[in-house]
Amino acid sequence: MLLISFIGHGQQTVNHQLIARNLGEKTMHDGVILRTFGFAQSFSEQPPIPGPTLYANEGDSVTLDLFNVSQGAPHTIHLHGLDVNQENDGVPHLSFEVHHMEHGYYFFVAPHPGTYFYHCHVVSTIHVQAGMYGVFIVKPSDGSNTTWEGGFEYEQDKLYTMSEMDPLWHEDSVMEHPHDTTQSVHEVFVPEYHPSYFLVNGMSEQELLNPDIAFQSAKEQVSLLRMANIGYLANRVAFPTELNAKIISTDGRPIESPEISDTLWLSPGERYGVLVEPNVDLIDSITISYINMNSLVTENTQYIPVNVSGTNGLIEDEDNKTFKLYPNPSRNRFHLKSIGVIYDGVKIYDAMGRLLQTVNIENTSLGNIEVKSDLPAGVYTVEVILDEHVLDSIKWINQ
Amino acid sequence: MNLKSFSILFLWLSCSLYSYSTQLPDTLYINSGLLQTYNGSSINYSCFNDSDVFEKSNKVLSYFVSDTVSLTIINNDQVPHQFTLDGLGISSQLLIPGGQETVLIHSTSLGTFIYHDSENFPNHKIIGLAGMLVFRNEDYSSFYWNLKEIDTVWVNDISQNNIVSTSYNPKFFLINGNHNPNINEDSLARVTGNVGDTIIIHVANTGNSIHSIHFHGYHLKMTQSSEHPNYEGRIKDTFPINPMEVMTLEMVPHQPGEYPVHDHNLIAVTGANIYPNGMFLTMLISP
Repeated sequence: MLLISFIGHGQQTVNHQLIARNLGEKTMHDGVILRTFGFAQSFSEQPPIPGPTLYANEGDSVTLDLFNVSQGAPHTIHLHGLDVNQENDGVPHLSFEVHHMEHGYYFFVAPHPGTYFYHCHVVSTIHVQAGMYGVFIVKPSDGSNTTWEGGFEYEQDKLYTMSEMDPLWHEDSVMEHPHDTTQSVHEVFVPEYHPSYFLVNGMSEQELLNPDIAFQSAKEQVSLLRMANIGYLANRVAFPTELNAKIISTDGRPIESPEISDTLWLSPGERYGVLVEPNVDLIDSITISYINMNSLVTENTQYIPVNVSGTNGLIEDEDNKTFKLYPNPSRNRFHLKSIGVIYDGVKIYDAMGRLLQTVNIENTSLGNIEVKSDLPAGVYTVEVILDEHVLDSIKWINQ
Repeated sequence: MNLKSFSILFLWLSCSLYSYSTQLPDTLYINSGLLQTYNGSSINYSCFNDSDVFEKSNKVLSYFVSDTVSLTIINNDQVPHQFTLDGLGISSQLLIPGGQETVLIHSTSLGTFIYHDSENFPNHKIIGLAGMLVFRNEDYSSFYWNLKEIDTVWVNDISQNNIVSTSYNPKFFLINGNHNPNINEDSLARVTGNVGDTIIIHVANTGNSIHSIHFHGYHLKMTQSSEHPNYEGRIKDTFPINPMEVMTLEMVPHQPGEYPVHDHNLIAVTGANIYPNGMFLTMLISP
């Protein structure tokens, strides 16, 4: 739930509400269902993991309304990296905690543009693992796709939040921990940590083929990757060399001398901004290793698909093509123009070759049609059809 | 005595006094004893201490950058040890039980360093023998965090000369030998100051684990990193630190309050089923 009102000079008041829940369920990639805690934005949804990504512009006055409908432990919101004052810092014994059926309000002015976390700080070892975390993104005061005022411009940004889950920690015996609100320290059962799910944006393994996760770009398109680690293992991130990765910021502050590197180390609690600008067509993956902080052993590796094709603007060479698809990339719609060839349909496929949308044209077209689509962001193949025959095939990036 | 002779005598006296005043004597005793963990068990442990009485934490050696230190290391233990100061190329000979040696230490620049036992490395480090040495600037408040964790299985195996056969899995996470909430009683560790002060925090990881130190309320500037000098100047709220790495952090508080600092590997803020425990302390900044 997001409300925005203007207070002049480009600054706004931004109100977010987060509903704390203790009875969430998350289906893992192998079908196992784990109990979770989490932050939802409506009563009709399972609390997503990570929680909803929240936004504000630099200088905005932000109010977070934490509504605890958990029937369990109190909760808080710690604004990790946002350098708020003590009262709004979300550490129970140093600020306040929010009990069942209570609202707690956090106030702050959005600081330097960058990537931050919010998470519960009540018995944080248990509650963060349970799922009570999300990302807070601060954009420049004008809301533009610029890293910060006077910084780098980019055309799209992608957020990758790494974490893990240990099923044992999601059993009632751990989650239903005792909590004496009069005490600043608590005796809780903390099991050995042996995660078996290694997550990127709450997904793992084949779930990472989801177009929402994949990094998709045109050649020479500048993208900002927001990399964040809220787990209890370190991450080593390896980018394909062809992405020309440049590490430009960390923890919401610019790096004075950006580092050109295809490898990034992320420890728990850290965030990095990485600019990428591929210069070749590419099908590859970003490799995320999950490293035990004590044994330094790599416990798991996950892969984010990378698909770079075409160039900014028209993906195909418009001078030599019969069909033109534009604008490309675009959001939820595109125009298709024919140069002298009739067609009677359009089919849209995902990267796995699955047919997702068919558009039938009642009167065979020679001209320009607009195709609307509510497909999620991703790279799709658009086939132009006449009498069930494929006349042309064009890549479309839906942003 | 003519004027020339007087001048030479004055110069000799001045040099002698200067040399004497900057030869700062200090002593480290290598002691072994029993360390009581807070789940009630006790383990054999060793430390570099200020006297011949075993203490659970290694002495913090802190000097001004202009000092030349004459440091005597006395092996009060039953097995040989060797003092080594990383980063300044200083090492003693192997010190037999009862042996001692004096080394001269001088640095021309500010910095945080690790001293440790290089005999049977890293085993003697794992059973406790690693501390921090700092050359500081007198203009600023300085605080000192020696990060160390304890895997009691490893410590017991090493101290009994057994082969370590388990994966490193510490249960106790300490700063200067203390854990939450006792860390706040350590005036060397607990950051206190006022808004606008320049506060320097010297951090050494003498353990075997990676730690990821997160500051509430403030961003700090990294002014020294032994492993990543190219990171110096970065302004962050979370600082990973590798085993045997040192770093120096500069903080200029912009707001008052009491704010936590803790390892964001949240396993390291627990201990013996207590939360918060381990590497979790608070900073107290006055208006």
